[in-house]
Amino acid sequence: MSRRNRFLRGGRAIFFGVALICMVAIGFLAVEIVRDLRLLNSANSDNVQWTLSQAEVEFLEMRHALDTARRQPEPDLDRLIEEFDIFYSRISTLETGALYESLRDLPEFAEPMQRIRRTLDDLVPLIDGPRAELAAGLPRIESAFGQSRADLRDLATSGLYHFARQSDFQRISVAVTLMRLGLLTAVLVMVLIFLLRHAQNASRQTERRGHELAAAYSRLNTILDTSLDAVLVADLSGKIQQFNPAAERIFKYDAQQVVGRNIGGLIVPDHLRDAHEAGMARMRAGGERRVVGRGRVRLDAMRSTGEVFPAELALETARTGSEEIIVGFLRDISHRVSSENELVEARDKALAGEKAKADFLAMMTHEIRTPLNGVLGNLSLLEETDLTPAQARYVHNMAVSGKLLMSHVDAVLDIARFESGATALRAEVVDPGRLVQDIIDSQTSAAEANGNTLDWAWTGAPADWIRVDASRLQQVLVNLIGNAIKFTRDGHVQVEIEQVKPLDQPGAEAGLWLEIRIIDTGIGIAEADLDRVFEDFQTSGCTQDKGLPGTGLGLGIARRFVRAMQGEIGAESTLGEGSVFWLRLPVRAARAPHNADRTGTGCAPAGPCSILLVEDNEINLDLARDMLSLMGHDVSVARNGQEAVVAAGARCFDLILMDIRMPVMDGLAATRAIRDGQGPNRDAPIVALSANVLPEAKDRFIAGGMSDFLGKPLMKKELAQVIARFCSDATLAEGAPRDPAVDDPLAALKARYLDETCALFDWLATMPDDWSEIADRAHRIAGSAAAFGQADLRMALLSVETTAEAEDAAALAQAVSQARRAWETAPDPSVA
Amino acid sequence: MMTFPNVQSASAALFLTFTLAGAAPAEHLPEPHGPVILTVEGTIARTNGEGRARLDLQMLRDIGETTITTDTIWTAGTSEFTGVALDDLLDYLGAEGQEIDARAINDYAVTVPIADAVEGGPILAYAMDGKTMSRRDKGPLWLIYPYASSSTYRTEVIYARSIWQLDRMTVLD
Repeated sequence: MSRRNRFLRGGRAIFFGVALICMVAIGFLAVEIVRDLRLLNSANSDNVQWTLSQAEVEFLEMRHALDTARRQPEPDLDRLIEEFDIFYSRISTLETGALYESLRDLPEFAEPMQRIRRTLDDLVPLIDGPRAELAAGLPRIESAFGQSRADLRDLATSGLYHFARQSDFQRISVAVTLMRLGLLTAVLVMVLIFLLRHAQNASRQTERRGHELAAAYSRLNTILDTSLDAVLVADLSGKIQQFNPAAERIFKYDAQQVVGRNIGGLIVPDHLRDAHEAGMARMRAGGERRVVGRGRVRLDAMRSTGEVFPAELALETARTGSEEIIVGFLRDISHRVSSENELVEARDKALAGEKAKADFLAMMTHEIRTPLNGVLGNLSLLEETDLTPAQARYVHNMAVSGKLLMSHVDAVLDIARFESGATALRAEVVDPGRLVQDIIDSQTSAAEANGNTLDWAWTGAPADWIRVDASRLQQVLVNLIGNAIKFTRDGHVQVEIEQVKPLDQPGAEAGLWLEIRIIDTGIGIAEADLDRVFEDFQTSGCTQDKGLPGTGLGLGIARRFVRAMQGEIGAESTLGEGSVFWLRLPVRAARAPHNADRTGTGCAPAGPCSILLVEDNEINLDLARDMLSLMGHDVSVARNGQEAVVAAGARCFDLILMDIRMPVMDGLAATRAIRDGQGPNRDAPIVALSANVLPEAKDRFIAGGMSDFLGKPLMKKELAQVIARFCSDATLAEGAPRDPAVDDPLAALKARYLDETCALFDWLATMPDDWSEIADRAHRIAGSAAAFGQADLRMALLSVETTAEAEDAAALAQAVSQARRAWETAPDPSVA
Repeated sequence: MMTFPNVQSASAALFLTFTLAGAAPAEHLPEPHGPVILTVEGTIARTNGEGRARLDLQMLRDIGETTITTDTIWTAGTSEFTGVALDDLLDYLGAEGQEIDARAINDYAVTVPIADAVEGGPILAYAMDGKTMSRRDKGPLWLIYPYASSSTYRTEVIYARSIWQLDRMTVLD
């Protein structure tokens, strides 16, 4: 289309040019013709032909006079002289007259002319002389004119011929000019016809465009009229130019009412008016546009009634001619906002409900587990006393029931925790073989009780260290192995563990699938039931486990955990022959931890230790004290954090067992006080005791400076493990020093510094919100960093401290990440 | 294209000076003393015998001299013609009529309308470039129009009226 237009424009220009040239040429020719005509009019020529023939006539007259004179005895010489003069005059005229100038250039004219002239000039003295001589000279005159007759004839003939040719030329010239004029006129007419056609086309096109424009305009108006969004058009000064029906509806104005008025005073609510005026001024000045062209913006607008309502506004600018206009599309979103608000409220309520539920569960767990802890602990103490066989049976039954209740509570807690999404994967580095071995060890007696053999083996190459959520895996395996034992009598339970295939994930760490199969020769599961066994509250119809029913949650929890670890779990079974439960987990290979030797082991009996037991609940206190005493340890007690700090300041303990929830001062505060103090126990292991077994809680304790965690109720075995872990070194220290940290105090300090710093960063990664604690801990590590020659880390930590004190979250995050970098790049700690 | 001399483009200057004769309307003209170069007949008031006015060069000079500077198609270049203005002559003779029948020595005859005799119009020239014109130089009298002054004097009719070797005129009603 545009090319066609250009072509048309070009063609038009060319034709205009041609027309112009034609007109100029015609004008020029017309001038020429007028001049020709005027020349013809003014006629420079006397009648030339007449003059020429007159010369002959006059010559003849002169000859006649001459003849007459010769015949007369008294010749009339005057007449002869007169005729001579007349002829002379005529020849002079031909010789000098401007009219004959062109003739004189012709040799056939000029030569006879000169001859005649010479003849005449020769005769002049005779003619002008005395009459007698003239009369005597008449014959001489006659002979002189003998040649002149022929010359005169030539003169006349050549002259006539010349002028005839000249007039021919003139005629041809006029004819040519006229023809040119005619041709040019024809061309001009053609060009004009073309231009006329062109003009007609152009006018038709204009008309068509006019129609199209009108159609487009009416279409646009229809769109504006039917739009559900308000459409407002204003100029840069804010004067409304257009206000569509939707705008009328939304703002409750008539279009006539508002057109030409300033938009600011009409629809901008009072609290936004200053910002609106500033924005308009900024836009007029060509400055930053905060709303225009930024898509939909949510703000408040005002109706004619003064009602302010939420609206969604999109502003665009456009250029119409030289003027810039602002087009606003506005949507009344008061309904949407109110429903959004309702939704938000509903969500908040739901969240609050969830939180309340979670809080309730946590509380209930604590409140149920703590007394249950007391019951079970006392039962286990009671078993140690002398009992009659009947009493022993009762105690045993009580213990079984209590444990079952505890396991139910734990199962419900697991489900609730899982459903609330409060669980996070906790990757630990473990030796899978060691992990399975530990479980087998713990389950062996149960297996034996049912007459089963229980063992495990690697299939294929054993895996070394892997990174996996060990506690969950442990829980799942305990459940599966427990089930296998439960439903097998006098049979065999075999655990197979195998690395299946490398995990093929580009860019991921080297990984593998770990498959664990629990194969029993038990009663098996009907095929119809196989699909249901992983559902919640599915219990087997026939219990053979001394009448102890399960909650039916075990496998449900196992499946949840495995899925949470991106693994799979499944079962195959033949009724009456046995079952295979398998699970497959993606795990990551890992390096062996430093203290590998001690991980997962730990039942090594420790020698007598001095232990500070801090517990507010008297029953639990007694229970734990009795357990520890029975193990042969030296136990001191404190009933709250305050007492613990005092006791810890008085003498050195090998281990401190610290309850968390206590009056006066809680366990965490007490731990901090001990760690931060100058007492003999500032480096002593402090193990938390808590019924709150949520992993977050454990993290919090570790972050709070505690060395480990023991869940309540206290189990003798776990307690023994912890004591063995923390006290064996101390007891063996004098004998065979194994840990370089012990015989080299500096190395111990260094190790502790490293541990603490790691702990700090781990804790900071959990985004704690206790500003003062962040500041305190950063400050403490900063001090150590200075001592260990890590100046950069010190500076970075000091800035963490400063930002934490300023309670500036953004700056803190930055400072933390800087500190982390400083830590990662810091030189090995050394003491100068 | 045009081979005619272009008179229009000639920038010949035209000088027209003329002196009116304070001629008294005497009934009779004086007798000519020199050779008669012009005889006027017809409806004229003043004559010197036989109803004719016979005029010699001196008498013509006495009527008043008028000069026309112009080119002509019969001469080369621009020339100064001196003579008596036709209207002065007709006034002097008390001529009343419509036209003049003018004849040359060779009996060439033209009719000149009296209307031509206006101030600034034709003269009866007796001298060209200060020299009295002889018969051989188209003398004794040549009716010269001021051709250079206007294109209306450059027509074939005017050229035809420009009679030379004029010696007789008859004023006709």
